[in-house]
Amino acid sequence: MKGKQILLLILIVLINMNTGCWNRREINELSIGTAVGIDKSEDGYLVTVQLINPGEVASEKATERTAVTTYRASGETVFEALRKLTLETPRKIYLAHIRILVFGEEFAKEGIGKALDFISRDHEFRTDFYILIAKNTKAEKLLNVLTPVEQIPANKVFTSLKISEKAWASTYHVQLDELISGIISEGKNPVLTGVIIKGDPETGMNISNLENVDPPTTIQIRYIGVFKDDKLIGWLNEDESRGYNYIMDHVSSTIVNVPCENGKVGIELIRTKAKINGDVEYGKPKIDIKIWVEGNVGDVECEVDLTKTKNIYALEAKVQKKIKKEIESAIKKAQDNFKSDIFGFGEAIHRAAPKAWKELKTDWDRREFQDLEVNINVTVKIRRIGTIMKSFQKEAKE
Amino acid sequence: MKFIEKMFKSKMKSSASNSENQKDVNHIFLSKSLEKNINLIKKTLGESSDIVIREFFAGEDGKIKIGVIYTDGLADKTLVQTFILEPLMLEMRKTNLSANILSKKNSFEILKNYVIPKGDMKDVSDFEYLFTQLLSGNTIILIDSYNKGIAVDSRGWESRDVTEPTSQTVIRGPKEGFTETLRTNTALIRRKIKDPSLRIEAKQIGRRTKTDICIIFIKGVANDKIVKEVHKRLDRIDIDGILESGYIEELIQDEVYTPFPTMINTERPDSVAANLLEGRIAILVDGTPFVLIVPALFTDFFKSAEDYYHRFCFSSLVRIIRYFSFFITLLTPSIYVAVTTFHQEMLPTPLLISIAAQREGVPFPAVFEALLMELAFEILREAGVRMPRAAGAAISIVGALVLGEAAVMAGIVSPAMVIVVSLTAISSFVIPSYNLSITIRILRFLFMILGATFGLYGISLGLIALVLHLCSLRSFGIPYMAPMAPFNLDDQRDTIFRLPHYRIFSRPHLISQKNIIRQQSPLIAKPTPPKDYE
Repeated sequence: MKGKQILLLILIVLINMNTGCWNRREINELSIGTAVGIDKSEDGYLVTVQLINPGEVASEKATERTAVTTYRASGETVFEALRKLTLETPRKIYLAHIRILVFGEEFAKEGIGKALDFISRDHEFRTDFYILIAKNTKAEKLLNVLTPVEQIPANKVFTSLKISEKAWASTYHVQLDELISGIISEGKNPVLTGVIIKGDPETGMNISNLENVDPPTTIQIRYIGVFKDDKLIGWLNEDESRGYNYIMDHVSSTIVNVPCENGKVGIELIRTKAKINGDVEYGKPKIDIKIWVEGNVGDVECEVDLTKTKNIYALEAKVQKKIKKEIESAIKKAQDNFKSDIFGFGEAIHRAAPKAWKELKTDWDRREFQDLEVNINVTVKIRRIGTIMKSFQKEAKE
Repeated sequence: MKFIEKMFKSKMKSSASNSENQKDVNHIFLSKSLEKNINLIKKTLGESSDIVIREFFAGEDGKIKIGVIYTDGLADKTLVQTFILEPLMLEMRKTNLSANILSKKNSFEILKNYVIPKGDMKDVSDFEYLFTQLLSGNTIILIDSYNKGIAVDSRGWESRDVTEPTSQTVIRGPKEGFTETLRTNTALIRRKIKDPSLRIEAKQIGRRTKTDICIIFIKGVANDKIVKEVHKRLDRIDIDGILESGYIEELIQDEVYTPFPTMINTERPDSVAANLLEGRIAILVDGTPFVLIVPALFTDFFKSAEDYYHRFCFSSLVRIIRYFSFFITLLTPSIYVAVTTFHQEMLPTPLLISIAAQREGVPFPAVFEALLMELAFEILREAGVRMPRAAGAAISIVGALVLGEAAVMAGIVSPAMVIVVSLTAISSFVIPSYNLSITIRILRFLFMILGATFGLYGISLGLIALVLHLCSLRSFGIPYMAPMAPFNLDDQRDTIFRLPHYRIFSRPHLISQKNIIRQQSPLIAKPTPPKDYE
């Protein structure tokens, strides 16, 4: 009896052994991918993968070789193309750590929805990467550009998007779940930030690009791409992008310049808060946007006496006007040019009046959104004026 | 575990019959003839050169035949000379006791009461007792025509002085340690606790070694049931020899098949005293400076005597560090292996790249690398313990250079692995009790195999099994994980943290069950300086 029990125990242990190790892989048997680019090709997709050369990234000595290598393959599906890459790559490609996913502009115009399925279905992807559009170029070209300071180009894009969003607020990071929910939602359309190559893409591929103090080719994060469902339909410019971010409450800090006597004053926004309220009055949808902004005076390049409160109030009014203008221009462009509700006004209406929404949603994008009445209410408070009182230009004049 | 016992059962039976050839001289009483007695002693002890047998005639006319027997080396020679031989051979002639001695009737009592100026004396009437006394260094005096003798305490052999304990050093605290002599050790404890209820109960275990053992406890503080249980378990032992307290530990512990120690051993009289005051029981064994303390709980192995001498905040910090390093030394290599071979997505990207770069060109899988380095470290450690002192420097050079530098330079192991192994090694030395750190060394390899086959899933299963096992252990009936499981709030004052002494006013609840309060209530005990100094 006891013997049988022991035998059973051994068998149970052995069964476990059979299941074990199915996904065991050594780190040095993997090629760590940092970026995936998807473009259109004749037979379907052209998938580009940027892989790290770990030896180069972490080595103490400077080497002649580049920190990353790109491989590309095309296939009828994204999955097929990725697997085909192994024909070229020396090791299995490991995509859990990708920092960015880039779509070519041309590809994005035809719709990115189908390509996203694999990426959200596959278990290996961590969903903390940023998704961007390669403006005016192909994703394949963009992933080939070598960047200074940050050795891994994908990392550079990732971090500069994060920083610019925090400090300048004309960009916005979109992750996979947000993008997909934007595509699905009836009352909201997604956006993706653009990324452009500044300079000649061919020289960007070469390591000599890094040997210059002023690299001839660099990567820049700029503009917000507007989508209608899963298709890219146009771009917001710098001010409109910021206006969009004000509405979406994505601004954490930025600089607003306002004119004054013989110059300008730069205000640093330190805190903003935005609230969108939807309402339906007599069958007509209405949106109220309330924005609270707090800022500090950061740069006075004119003759203004900041010790007087009335001057501060005047500054506040100017800032308020400027922000409002940016917001209005973003809304106008979305309503008139793109006819795409990227702000989620539809969702706000849905939340406020679910019954009315049922009727409105049928032609929300086509008609209702374009005629939507939007009230913008901006409140600005200037808190501090920095470490000096008067501008020294003014003192010099006196 | 049962089947292992079964394997050895056949051997056990054969060894049981071994005890029967021992009954030669047991329970034979002394005869009235001195000659017969001495012949029997000579026969039993054979030609042992260290047994000194001196026969002479004493008394006024040399009418009393006396035999003095002692073991050379164990008995103090000057003591035997001045307090036994001189009175018997010289002074007895001078004294005016002739009338009594001539009568021969009570010369035994006279010898005992008038002649030998010595404190500790025992009557001997059977040979078993005689040999025990003789071979533990006492001097036996036999008188012709009496069927009993006198055992005079004359023990005095070369012994080590009380020195600083080597295995449990402290920065602040007493620097004395136990020695190999039982009497010295009991004296060291008596000197700390001058309480009449401190009990030192003696026992002799070991058919051949006849090792003296003392059970020390404070009556009224220690749990009587546990004292009784200790006696019961010690009495059960039937073995030929006890050479170290480790023998006793293995023979009386609750659960043999566990890597965890269920008894504390210490070289320090102050920690024995502290444990006695908490209501524990100490078992002293002659011939070793290591004293056993029961019952022992898991958390006791993270306590050091020094904790109570330093300021409480520092002691608490150090204890937390010890618990932390327990997990580091147990799990670091296995988690490293699991994460780098199964869960690469869990690492932050820059760290993954850095590890990937280090592993570039390493020819072995991470598990093998980890096992190799851990094994190398264990070999080094073992070599360092066993080696003659003079070669110690060589070992550290070989260890540090060859295993650290050279192996990395040659690309056989990755620098990250060297860091992992050295971190585990250093952390394992933080745990104050050596026997728990041995446990962790064993378990670490188990966890490494689990981590390499099942990843973090395996490690968590292993941890669950470990906790279950720990909770099933008992030390003399006390749950091993107390006061964590079963939880006791009062005992937390001195478990992970060490609160100021005035706050630790109760003894551990499960250990000392009847005399819980060790000082007045904390409100009164709290040190309060006078408010005005005028």
